Amino acid sequence: MSIMELNGGSVIAMVGKDCVAIASDLRLGNQALGISANFQKIFPVTDRIYLGLPGLATDVTTLRERFRFRVNMYTIKEEREIEPETFARLVSSTLYEHRFGPYFIEPVMAGLSKTPSGGYKPFIAAADLIGCLNFAKDFVVAGTASSKLYGVAEGLWEPDLEPEDLFETISQTLLNAVDRDAYSGWGCVVHVITKDKVVTRTLKGRMD
Amino acid sequence: MASVYSPPGFNFSNEIRNNFLLEKGLPLPKATSTGTTIVGCLFKDGIVLGADTRATEGPIVADKNCEKIHYITENIRCCGAGTAADTEFTTALISSNMELHALSTGRKPRVVTAMTMLKQMLYRYQGHVGAALVLGGVDATGPHLFTIHPHGSTDKLPYVTMGSGSLAAMAVFESGWRADMSRDEALNLVKAAISAGIFNDLGSGSNVDACIITATHTELLRNVEMPNQRVEKERKYAFRRGTTAWKNQTVRDLIVKEELTTVGAGPGEAMDTT
Amino acid sequence: MDHVDINRLKTGEVNLGTSIMAVQFEGGVVIGADSRTTTGSYIANRVTDKLTYVHDRIYCCRSGSAADTQAVADIVHYALQMYSQTAGEPPTVHHAASVFQKLCYENKDQLTAGIIVAGWDKEVGPSVYNIPLGGGLFRQPWAIGGSGSTYVYGYCDATYRDGWGRDECINFVKNTLALAMSRDGSSGGVIRMCVITEEKVERLFVPGDELPRFWEGREVLGEAVPKKQPVGEAGIGLVPMAVEA
Repeated sequence: MSIMELNGGSVIAMVGKDCVAIASDLRLGNQALGISANFQKIFPVTDRIYLGLPGLATDVTTLRERFRFRVNMYTIKEEREIEPETFARLVSSTLYEHRFGPYFIEPVMAGLSKTPSGGYKPFIAAADLIGCLNFAKDFVVAGTASSKLYGVAEGLWEPDLEPEDLFETISQTLLNAVDRDAYSGWGCVVHVITKDKVVTRTLKGRMD
Repeated sequence: MASVYSPPGFNFSNEIRNNFLLEKGLPLPKATSTGTTIVGCLFKDGIVLGADTRATEGPIVADKNCEKIHYITENIRCCGAGTAADTEFTTALISSNMELHALSTGRKPRVVTAMTMLKQMLYRYQGHVGAALVLGGVDATGPHLFTIHPHGSTDKLPYVTMGSGSLAAMAVFESGWRADMSRDEALNLVKAAISAGIFNDLGSGSNVDACIITATHTELLRNVEMPNQRVEKERKYAFRRGTTAWKNQTVRDLIVKEELTTVGAGPGEAMDTT
Repeated sequence: MDHVDINRLKTGEVNLGTSIMAVQFEGGVVIGADSRTTTGSYIANRVTDKLTYVHDRIYCCRSGSAADTQAVADIVHYALQMYSQTAGEPPTVHHAASVFQKLCYENKDQLTAGIIVAGWDKEVGPSVYNIPLGGGLFRQPWAIGGSGSTYVYGYCDATYRDGWGRDECINFVKNTLALAMSRDGSSGGVIRMCVITEEKVERLFVPGDELPRFWEGREVLGEAVPKKQPVGEAGIGLVPMAVEA
């Protein structure tokens, strides 16, 4: 029994064609006992950056507030919104600061970054609990179902999916992985981020 | 979070809580580590560094194409093995300090300087910062190649290997290395050494990265060899739209719509700006 | 503190398994070491230089943790540079050994370092100081150290004679280290030696395939008639042990 399995939960993010998606389950547990089926693990950071925080629930709340504070400070000092790449470094260094007494969180980030030409480029990243970043081109996963998510995503993901197709792929990946994980599940939420809107959907999933 | 400012260095505020959890028998989760094969090799005009590109989290491959050759200065690079976050941050910190050192002394940075900074930092942390490094570069005093172990000991050798694949790579070096090799011979030897790690060590995999440093040039050869490319899927597995049943949807519109409503003075009447 | 635990290297720590030695003679000192550095059973470096410069005529032989001894030697190197600049003259070997001893004693709980300091100074001429694990300081005419030394104490006691010259000391060091390296699994490779005199520091090198050879065993099983084999005769470079007249 690991600390990560105390409350359960999983997050996945995927890249599509000019869009990204990030999804999580909604379970909060106390080991095998389910506590809540509406525990949000994904939070908006800016309009176009979403952050998933699977892991120990107390740290989910703590880090969510900590990042809100640090992003607000950044926005005030720099007088501009933080870019996903910069935010990823902020997450990374915040976690590494606690290298010898870590937060039990493996963050997943998804967003669209501004290009010099004024367009938007998909961005996803994940970090381990001490802040080692992983910039993947396809998908990133974290949480108690991560080993299952890796397998399903490796099989289902393909490049240049349109937002609606990306929604189906990420949803099915998460739903099917989570069904084989005892500590994740109890409903899912998916965010698909495109340049002009963010679509958030709660999925119908098994509630056992 | 009382203050906006936080002191430099590590923060130990979670220690009491984490020790409590640890005492309850909950083991610490695994951090990403680079199982890794990293090598370095001296040749006629300089140094060739090499690395594989696999990052692991226990038995899981966390990153199939990560970068393990880190920038220190333009003429000095460093391969990292061990705890991935540690190699990343240690090299970044030393890189930053090397830049400041070069600025304050007005001299081109030296490899021994980077080596000394790294070994003193790692020694101070008594092995708790788990970075195993291969440091190489060319400076005013010639080419230099070092290994730095997590506890802070260093070795200076003409060919070195580190990480879990170091045995496989060293076997290649011990049989194939000669003094005063040409650039291409050295690069091929490094490729062979990394490939030995990729194929014979479970902790190493995917592609070969290399970096050639000479007195005048530094050339980073990202993915010089890609022996493990996946074949493209023959068929698509995309789901038909509408496959996934969902309960509700909210849409956040990111387009800022502006509607101009003129207030007060009627049209055609100019503002009095006198 | 009850006793010093010599087996407390952290896992994965780089170890100087080591055989090291120093002998003084009339005009100087001879120091020597094997060249093996190990991490567990893996030889991390087979051509290590364990004879470390700390001042122009003062060297140290390092054994124990590679990280600890390098750090200590670096600090002493720095301290002696500062000393010679402020005092305007080179430090004595005793001074250097005292700096080593202070560091080794005050941090004995955290260090695994067995160091032999040797060199030449104008106060006393050549001298050899042994600083074993707990941080003691002992002046000796000859000193051996490291894991390999345990195998050759008897040989040294039986062989050493006062009043030897330079070449006899070199041979003594070479033979002792070769014997230690052959019995100790964590010692091996080549022999590096330094002869430190007032005039210069001379480096000597014995490759691994040219080490002095001694009795290396003989097949006994299945031998019909045990033949008499004269030891040390018509041998392939056999070096006889010193026998008293």
